[in-house]
Amino acid sequence: MIKGYAGRVLEVDLTARRFSFEPLDEETARLYIGGKGYGTRLLYDRTEAGIDPLGPKNPLIFATGPLNGSVAPQSNRFAVVCKSPLTGGIGNATCGGTFAFGMKKAGVDVIVVTGRSERPVRIDVDGNAGTVEFIDAADLWGKGTYETQALLGRKKSHAVIGPAGENKVLYAGIVSNERIAGRTGVGAVMGSKKLKALSVSGSRKLDMEDPEKFKAYTRDVRAIFKGHPVLGESLKRFGTGGIVNTTNGRNILPTRNFQKGRFDDAMKISGEWFEDHELVGVKTSCIHCPVSCGRDVDVPGRGVVKGPEYETLALLGSNLEIGDIKKVSEWNYLADDLGMDTISLGATLGFAMELRDRGMLDTELAFGDPAGISELIQDIGHRRGLGNDLADGTRRLSEKLGGVEFAPHVKGLELSAYDPRGSFAQGVEYATTNRGGCHVQGASMYLESVGPLTINPQNLKLKADLPIVQQNLACAINSMVLCIFTTYGIVPKQVHEMDPSSLSYRTLAFLLENSGPLFRWVQSVKGSPLLWFEKWLTLITGEKFSSGHLQEIGGRIFNLERMYNLREGLSAADDTLPDRILHEPTFSHMKSGHPLHELLPSYYKKRGWDASGVPTARTLERLGVAV
Amino acid sequence: MTVRVEFTYEMSKKLGVRVIDVDAKTVADVVDASRQRFGDETEAFEQLASRAALAVNGVLVRHRKRLKTQLDDGDRVTFVKAAAGG
Repeated sequence: MIKGYAGRVLEVDLTARRFSFEPLDEETARLYIGGKGYGTRLLYDRTEAGIDPLGPKNPLIFATGPLNGSVAPQSNRFAVVCKSPLTGGIGNATCGGTFAFGMKKAGVDVIVVTGRSERPVRIDVDGNAGTVEFIDAADLWGKGTYETQALLGRKKSHAVIGPAGENKVLYAGIVSNERIAGRTGVGAVMGSKKLKALSVSGSRKLDMEDPEKFKAYTRDVRAIFKGHPVLGESLKRFGTGGIVNTTNGRNILPTRNFQKGRFDDAMKISGEWFEDHELVGVKTSCIHCPVSCGRDVDVPGRGVVKGPEYETLALLGSNLEIGDIKKVSEWNYLADDLGMDTISLGATLGFAMELRDRGMLDTELAFGDPAGISELIQDIGHRRGLGNDLADGTRRLSEKLGGVEFAPHVKGLELSAYDPRGSFAQGVEYATTNRGGCHVQGASMYLESVGPLTINPQNLKLKADLPIVQQNLACAINSMVLCIFTTYGIVPKQVHEMDPSSLSYRTLAFLLENSGPLFRWVQSVKGSPLLWFEKWLTLITGEKFSSGHLQEIGGRIFNLERMYNLREGLSAADDTLPDRILHEPTFSHMKSGHPLHELLPSYYKKRGWDASGVPTARTLERLGVAV
Repeated sequence: MTVRVEFTYEMSKKLGVRVIDVDAKTVADVVDASRQRFGDETEAFEQLASRAALAVNGVLVRHRKRLKTQLDDGDRVTFVKAAAGG
């Protein structure tokens, strides 16, 4: 077995209440690493087209990668893969906390849950004994994720759902500690199986190729991260909420259901506001993470709980025109406890508010007014009244009530909080990312709109190239499984410290702007490992990884996801953005919206796809994608 | 022309004000007016300003005519810092 893997896949059939431990497939691990990549391969191979995502044939796959179980910073995430009930295409999400670490300690790389239980059940895996218990969970059914985890205790690592998952809210997530695998409705799939919780324990240690070198190198990387202006300072001090004022300053902060990119009260929902008003309690982190981007906040009546992240502050704040961080914190707590994705939730609420403005929905819900939102979030989680409609997300709501042109989603997945009209590459990424409108499947916006060294976000240059490199890298990162934040360290401290008006900075920016050859080099070079994730993989597995290897593996995963979506009936027509984003300008100099259709043909070509967005046989062969 | 100037958090901590309105025809005028606002603490201004990019109505001046970028009445000039997250 390749080093870094436990070497076991746990197969669980909930219908028959059977389990077995099977060997991890080494060839698949070599081709897809683990995490999202390995899970996607399993999903593709084991399912037929057209299965009901909420039916027993949809496998729910929990997958770790070779970096999990190590002490590498930000190596604490696991991936969940299944068919998405929200999009009808590939579903996946990753989550921090301690569960990934727990799986590796239990000696399991992947857990595949199939079938469906008749009654609420939880699964308890003892990796040392090699046993799996199916335990009645009627006593936990209906309870929130906080209480559920408290009742399960701290001795094991848990992944649980709340009432949103139980009630199959289509954007329900799976919660571990205070983190959530939020996107694409993976929690609804878990709920459809009547699986309340999955607990793992064990005492296995990670077997790695060169532990001494790994330890020494990791110590160095940790020091780099601690001294890094984003990882060690900004995120540490302000959390992800520190982005709010930046996106607002760049006119890309979703406001009033993406009608604007600017919110006058942005400061009041920012990380800086937390600090100034002493709202921050303890700064929290996932296991082995020096960044500590999480922060606890005091929510009246709830106590000290996890505070909202940037996406939540934007989608439940500016997007609803609510400049009250305490309210957003309360709604964040409710959503976490019910177990649902705050991005989809906030986007759906904003869409409903605009429907109401236009006389298309009879509700008291209104932009800028927090009244009734707490109750409505509860109703969504329990599928009561209007909440039942909102629990299906913006696409279905627009198909029912109208407003398709301003429903903020791609492929059914609600847009994240970077308005692509001021971030063209991010728009291409949203349109083409296989799981839909998400920002962490590439994060092009970092090199375009919010990072320290950016390209012009509003011309056509590199806007087809950047998303490809970023999407491929993210696929690899999500398969190791690392936090995407580890990629932010790529831009070194020295660049952060440059004066943006200086000649040296401008020269560097010019070079980046004209870096087509560099992008091609990054995609093809197969030399020695350079960056930490390449080196960690090499030191753990004993196999050689460089940027070219990761680009190839990431491209393989991305194309397999694409083939999955095509098999499920998605097509090039789904590679689009909401009409509002395409046609309504948010900048005074713009005549229209995002120029997606000028960029897509080039993106397809560079991907090795035909004009219909289908990977050519040559591309699949080159990448080794068996379909 | 009256334009609105937004400072970064760090700048506003130093000044005690987050937003000011100034009379300016170009971005260079805005920078001058902001520097004046810092009074004797010119060095602090230069240091804090060098950690931020300048944007007019959300567009970095680096992608326009830098300090020569012309302003219209009601424009918004923002000192914007780099950030990252998810």
